[in-house]
Amino acid sequence: MTTSISSGDAFTDRLSDYLDNEDMSVEERATIEAHVSGCAECRATLAELRAVASIAASLPDAPPANDLWAGIANQLPATKSTVVSFRSPQRFSFTLPQLVAAGLALMVLSGGMAWMARRGDPRVTLPPVAGNVQPVAEDESLTRVSFADPQFDAAVADLERVLAEHRSRLDPDTVRILEENLLSIDQAIEQSRKALRADPANVYLNNHFAASRNRKLALLRRASALAIANDPSGS
Amino acid sequence: MGYRTRMTRALTLAVAAWLIAPTVAAAQERESRKPQTDRTVPVTRGSRLAISHDAGEVVVRTWNNDSLRVRASHSDRVSIDVQTNANIVTIRSKSTGPRGSVDYDITAPAWMPVKVSGQFLYIGIEGAQNEVSAETVRGDIVIKGGSGIVTAKSIHGEIIVEDAKGRINLSSVNEAIRVTGATGEIVAETTNGDISLSKVQAKLVDVATVNGDVLFEGGFSTGGQYRFVTHNGDITLVMPENTGATFGVRTYNGDFQSNLPTKPVGEIRRGRRVTYTLGNGEAEVELESFGGTIRLRRPGTAPVRRQTDKDKDKDKHKDPDSDKQASYSARSATIGSMRAARSAGAAAAIVAHAINSTAIPTRLHGSHGSMRKSMSDKS
Repeated sequence: MTTSISSGDAFTDRLSDYLDNEDMSVEERATIEAHVSGCAECRATLAELRAVASIAASLPDAPPANDLWAGIANQLPATKSTVVSFRSPQRFSFTLPQLVAAGLALMVLSGGMAWMARRGDPRVTLPPVAGNVQPVAEDESLTRVSFADPQFDAAVADLERVLAEHRSRLDPDTVRILEENLLSIDQAIEQSRKALRADPANVYLNNHFAASRNRKLALLRRASALAIANDPSGS
Repeated sequence: MGYRTRMTRALTLAVAAWLIAPTVAAAQERESRKPQTDRTVPVTRGSRLAISHDAGEVVVRTWNNDSLRVRASHSDRVSIDVQTNANIVTIRSKSTGPRGSVDYDITAPAWMPVKVSGQFLYIGIEGAQNEVSAETVRGDIVIKGGSGIVTAKSIHGEIIVEDAKGRINLSSVNEAIRVTGATGEIVAETTNGDISLSKVQAKLVDVATVNGDVLFEGGFSTGGQYRFVTHNGDITLVMPENTGATFGVRTYNGDFQSNLPTKPVGEIRRGRRVTYTLGNGEAEVELESFGGTIRLRRPGTAPVRRQTDKDKDKDKHKDPDSDKQASYSARSATIGSMRAARSAGAAAAIVAHAINSTAIPTRLHGSHGSMRKSMSDKS
C-alpha cells in the first residue's frame, strides 16, 4: 500500500490499527511511532485508546448460562471442518460485557473527537513529517487503480470502434456471444468498483479490479483481431 | 376453428417448412456424403502438419507410419490440396465456387506436430506425441495426447484436453474447459464457463474464469505454483490429506470451507488475504473468488456440481443418443447423428451470414458448439 502522511488526522486514523497491530508494515509502524513521540495530541489519543483496550481486556468473558455447545460438539465427527464466511449480510450479537466495553469505548472516543474538534485550527503546527515519509511497501504487489483511467478508457474506445467497424464480418451469433461475455466482465468490473469504494485500500480488490479491466481489454483485442481477419478488405 | 385461424396456421407451417427445408436437406446431404478424397503421401521426419479451413470438422488420429493419410468428405466443387514446403505439410481445400464445409479424417505420424485452425470448425486430435495447436471460433476442441506446447483456443466451443504433457495453454470465452490426466504447466482461461482439472500433476497451474466454477482434483508438487481465480463462481480443490501446501485465500463476499486439517496463519478478515497451511506447506496455492465459496476437500467429499441455466439449455438440444457413445471408433457416426439434431435456427443463422460474407462458406451444418461429447466419451 502506498501511504502519504501529511497531517495529524492521518495518524489518528491509523492509531487504532497501530494499537491492534493490524494491516501495517514495519516501516509504517516506525513512522507512526516517530510521529507520536513528537505529537502531544496523538500521544493522548493513543493513551486513551490503550486505556479502552485495557478495560475491555480486563472484563470477564461470561459464557451463556445454557450452553448447548458441549452437547453438539460430542456429536460431531472427529475431523475438523473449517468454515469461514466473508459474506456481507451478517448478524452480530454481543454479550453484556462486550456491550459495556463497546459503550465505554464509544464514550472515550467521542469525547476525544469532540476535544480535538474544539481545537479547531487545522493548520496546527506539526513536525515536518510528510517530507520524510517514503511510500510504504506492502507485503503484496498492489496495482492501485484509479477509477478515472483515461488510458484504459481510450484503449477500450479504440477497440470498440474497430470492432464496430468490422463486426458485420463476424457471425451474428459470435457477435452476440462476445457482447454477452463483455457484459459479464463489465458486471465484474462494476462489482469490484463498488467494493473498492467501500474499501479503497484493499489489496485484493485493487488487483481484482485491475485484472477484470485487463480481461476486458484482452477480449476486445481478440474480438477485434478476429473481425479484422475476417474482413477481406483487410483494413 | 375459424377459416382465418386455419389459414394462418397453414401459412405459418408452410413458411416454417420452407425455412427449415434447406437446412435439413443440407444436413441429410452431409450424412450421405462419402469421403471423396482419400490420399496417402509420404512425410519426412521433422515436418509439421498445418490444416486451415473455415468450416466442417478436422479429426486427426495418429499411427506409426511415416506417411499421412488424408480422407475428406466434401462437395463436387471442392478439391483437396496437400503440399509440402519447407518441412510444413499444408492441407487446404480449393473450390470452383463458394467454399463449402469439408470434413477431414486424417491419420498422421504420431511424431508430427499438428496445427489446425478455422472458423466454424470442430477439431479432434488424438494420439499426437508432439506439439498440438487448435484454434477455432465456433466449435469444440478435443485433444487427447500432445506433448511440448499444447494450445487450444475457441470463442464458443468447449475445450477438452486429456493426457497432454508440457506447456498447456487453453482459452475459451463462452464455454467450459476440461483437462484430465495432464502433466506439466497448465494455463486456462474462459469468461462464461467452468474450468475443471482432474488427475493433474502439474508444477504450475494458472486458471481464471469470470462466471464459472473451478474444480481441481490432483496433487500439488513441492515448490509448485498454483493459482485459481473466479469472480462469480466457486472454487473446489480436492486433494489427499497428506498434501503439503500453503493456501492464500482471497474473497470479498464469499466463504471458505475446508474439511482438511488446514491451519490458519494470522488473522482472518473479510476482503483480506488469509493464509492456511496444510502439511509442510511447500506448494504455493492462491485462491481468489470475489463472491463464491472456496472449498478444500478430501477425496470423495467434493460437492455435486450444480446445474446451471447453460447446462439446462444444452441438455435441451443434446442428441438423445450422445450419452450412449462408448468408443472413439463410433465418433463419426455419432457426430453424424448430432449434426442431424442440430438446431435449424443455428444452422440457418450461419448460412445467412455465410451468404453475406465471402470469408465464410455458404453451406454449413449446425452449431459445432455443442458437439461436446463426441470424443470425450471414450474415456
